[in-house]
Amino acid sequence: MDHAHTKPRRRVSRRSPTGSSSDELAVVSNHEPAHRHRQSWSRNFTPQRPTPQKRPPSRSESPDELAVDADEYWRSSRTSRSRHSPSKRSAAPSSPGRTPSEDASNDRMSTDEGRTDNHSDPSDRLPTPAPPAEPPLPPKPDRLNYREKFVLKAHQRGVSSVQFSPDCTMIASGGADATVKVWETATGKPLYTFVGHLAGISTVAWSPDGKWVASGSDDKTIRFWSIETGRAHTKIFKGHHNYIYQIAFTPKGNMLASGSYDEAVFLWDVRRAKVMRSLPAHSDPVAGMDVVHDGTLVASCATDGLVRIWDTHTGQCLRTLVHEDNPPATFVKFSPNGKYILAWTLDGCIRLWNYVESRVIKTFQGHENKKYSISGGFGTYGPPDVKYNPPLAFAVSGSEDGAIVCWDIVTKNILQRIEGHTDVVLGVHTGQLNGKRMLVSGVNGDAAGPDSAPDSNLPPPTPVNGADGEDTTMADAPPESSVAGTPAGDVTMT
Amino acid sequence: MNLSLVDPFILAQEYPDTLTEKLQSGHASCLRFNHTGDFLASGRVDGTVVIFDIETNGVALKLQGHTRQIQSLSWSRDGRYLLTSSQDWKCILWDLKDGSRLRTVRFEAPVYIAELHPFNHLLFVASLFEDQPVLVDISSPKAIKRILPSAPLRPQAPNGEELTPEAAAKQAAQDAKHSTCVSIFTALGNHVISGTSKGWINIIETETCTTIHSSRLCNGVVILIRLSKNGKDLLINSSDRIIRTVVMPDLSQLGMGLEPANIKLQIEHKFQDVVNRLSWNHVTFSSTGEFVTATTYMNPDIYVWERSHGSLAKILEGAREELGVVEWHPTRPLVVACGLESGAIYEWFIITPQKWSALAPDFGEVEENVHQRRLDLEDEEPDVITPDPSKVDTDTDPAHAFAMPVLMDVSDSDSGEDIIAVGPGTMRRRTPGAGRDGPETEADAAPRGSGRSRRR
Repeated sequence: MDHAHTKPRRRVSRRSPTGSSSDELAVVSNHEPAHRHRQSWSRNFTPQRPTPQKRPPSRSESPDELAVDADEYWRSSRTSRSRHSPSKRSAAPSSPGRTPSEDASNDRMSTDEGRTDNHSDPSDRLPTPAPPAEPPLPPKPDRLNYREKFVLKAHQRGVSSVQFSPDCTMIASGGADATVKVWETATGKPLYTFVGHLAGISTVAWSPDGKWVASGSDDKTIRFWSIETGRAHTKIFKGHHNYIYQIAFTPKGNMLASGSYDEAVFLWDVRRAKVMRSLPAHSDPVAGMDVVHDGTLVASCATDGLVRIWDTHTGQCLRTLVHEDNPPATFVKFSPNGKYILAWTLDGCIRLWNYVESRVIKTFQGHENKKYSISGGFGTYGPPDVKYNPPLAFAVSGSEDGAIVCWDIVTKNILQRIEGHTDVVLGVHTGQLNGKRMLVSGVNGDAAGPDSAPDSNLPPPTPVNGADGEDTTMADAPPESSVAGTPAGDVTMT
Repeated sequence: MNLSLVDPFILAQEYPDTLTEKLQSGHASCLRFNHTGDFLASGRVDGTVVIFDIETNGVALKLQGHTRQIQSLSWSRDGRYLLTSSQDWKCILWDLKDGSRLRTVRFEAPVYIAELHPFNHLLFVASLFEDQPVLVDISSPKAIKRILPSAPLRPQAPNGEELTPEAAAKQAAQDAKHSTCVSIFTALGNHVISGTSKGWINIIETETCTTIHSSRLCNGVVILIRLSKNGKDLLINSSDRIIRTVVMPDLSQLGMGLEPANIKLQIEHKFQDVVNRLSWNHVTFSSTGEFVTATTYMNPDIYVWERSHGSLAKILEGAREELGVVEWHPTRPLVVACGLESGAIYEWFIITPQKWSALAPDFGEVEENVHQRRLDLEDEEPDVITPDPSKVDTDTDPAHAFAMPVLMDVSDSDSGEDIIAVGPGTMRRRTPGAGRDGPETEADAAPRGSGRSRRR
């Protein structure tokens, strides 16, 4: 472990202009790991170049080595100077080169891991020779079959966040109309409407015991709503200085983490409704946040492009993840087992990080995400009685073109592209009720007109039961909460 | 999940070094962590039991039912039930799911210590003030009390002779002088270990309530007996100012190669302050059993000895008053103790400095920072679903089965009858006006000293 040596050297070269980089080239030439590293940076820091992927595959880094470093130097100094002007910074670095690069990589993705790959046994692609799969596993399904089950219409304006209750029997949704609504999953019936917030709601969360829904709003407060009594909790969680973007409970339900436009992450003592700890999280608005399943870690991300991982007990930052292009990060989600983090960034990518090793291991593309903090998550698929290794899982995200996109975690293939919404899909959540896997999505309002708000709570339940072909167990019927209204300005991440 | 990210040097530190928090809700007189270490129960002099959430340092639950000082607390294995004993001659078994009283058992004397059976929360052993210790079965609402012997087991007369009446009377008179001060269960609960006022340790079979072994280990009253978490070591605090650690014989071997006559209690270490002749208020093992901790009489320090060599490892300082009960967190290097005068609960923990490299990824661990730029190189097969095997085990552990409800109105439910200390030895009832807001501010964690604030 020669961290002690490599750390300072790297620091110098990173933050200083070109002069030192040539020194370093000499130093590292007889140091193999560091040299490899150096290559990786030179490839990394081309944020303003339109298509990093267009570089020749040989990757000779010599010609523009110095140029890159200078480029990086100026860029980094610029960002540090403009730290306190979030609006100026927001989408700038990502937008210019986005579309071409996405296309390029899409092509590559489909050629490398074409559809034919899907039907191969997953075990024969393991790096180590796997034990012979005696009963050959059925081929991995290459598509999902989620279908619309319900359209939950009642919100007057856009829906920014949707969540299944812990037992998935209910759905909570929050939106720009400053109301929280709770629905019955099985029927799509509205159960409660909670009114009290003074501004639009960006996030809702269920307490782990399913007795409370918490909502975070642009009125800088977090409020709790009781499912048992249908009333608001008397204590209002006040403390943030600006809009609240994301909240998450710890698994025991005794703490709540919240991320805000005021650049901080707060840990709240739920019982006392008081801030327990304030994490000096970011230098830009905190757009996304999540708590790992055992409650020991909190992840936060901000439009400064950083994803940070915090120790819940000590309040200390344990790890910072940043992608080389430093695109604004708008949403993070721990994997169900807590070993990985899925991070959404405004360059139209979702990256799966191995956060222990600070390494991106998968990049998902194919959705559109330039402006909004779009949420998503993980889900499982495949026949429930077959044990795949690793278990079949997908990542799901909303998209600004109105789609919901599901990717296979391993192959990164798009398993399903659920069309139906006509505006930005802001909230997506997965759940499972009576063995049926479900998705719920919330959509930013579009021009469909605010007329259908009060009475169209019960759309005809389109009988779906996605029972065709090999996907019979996947009776994935997504109840969608889609809403009419004007675009909700509260959830834009600009 | 955070272990893979935390500095291994910090994880390797086994005992705390800094006073980090001070909790106060009333005047606490005894403390006990639950088995997972999420909650700390504290018994107060006014008879209220307050359960703190260790993560938030807030009050999770308040239990009101005793009228005098709480003497001891004992958690059930799954953390759902709590047995409290009090000077009001009662023991109460609480169901923490809703804070209700499951059982109330009255005795003829104040209770010194009551401890639940490690696996059966409807069985406990209680030591009474100047009375016989009892084994209490509360599986039915009417408690069944069985008296445990206090007198040490006398060796059989070698040739089976009958004792002369005079000798028998003398023995009986001697036996009557023994009274049991403390009794606890062994790790499996098949035996009770009790300590007497004459310094004897008795091992009593739970099923038959008969003494199978006795040894005299101390020269004074046995004040407290603690068992290490793995049940293999005993810690005995005695009024002779010596703390002894004793290796427990494996009693599960009884009847399978171990005869009761062959049981030997071997003293491993004697901890004492030879110079100052300190006497010890309360003792405890560390979470792993590798350390022994004690609070001292008339002294605000906590002594920490390590057991491999029996040497003093650390003196925890910072409290400004004499400390009573001291407890060690079951998994973390966290020590709590309550002040005798103020009734505050002090917490010692490790202050870890922020690693600045964690905040700036650019300066971080270089070796591991190789980005795979080309998306087609992302050929791993990550498993995002399956948790670590170790995690699975703890989740299926019955100790995790009970989840303490999060009461949103715990401070509202307070009756406002808090008694607060206004000076040394003086108490007063909380004024009614302050009662509403009181429990919140009172339970507020007030870090002592500058620069130790956790709200950074």
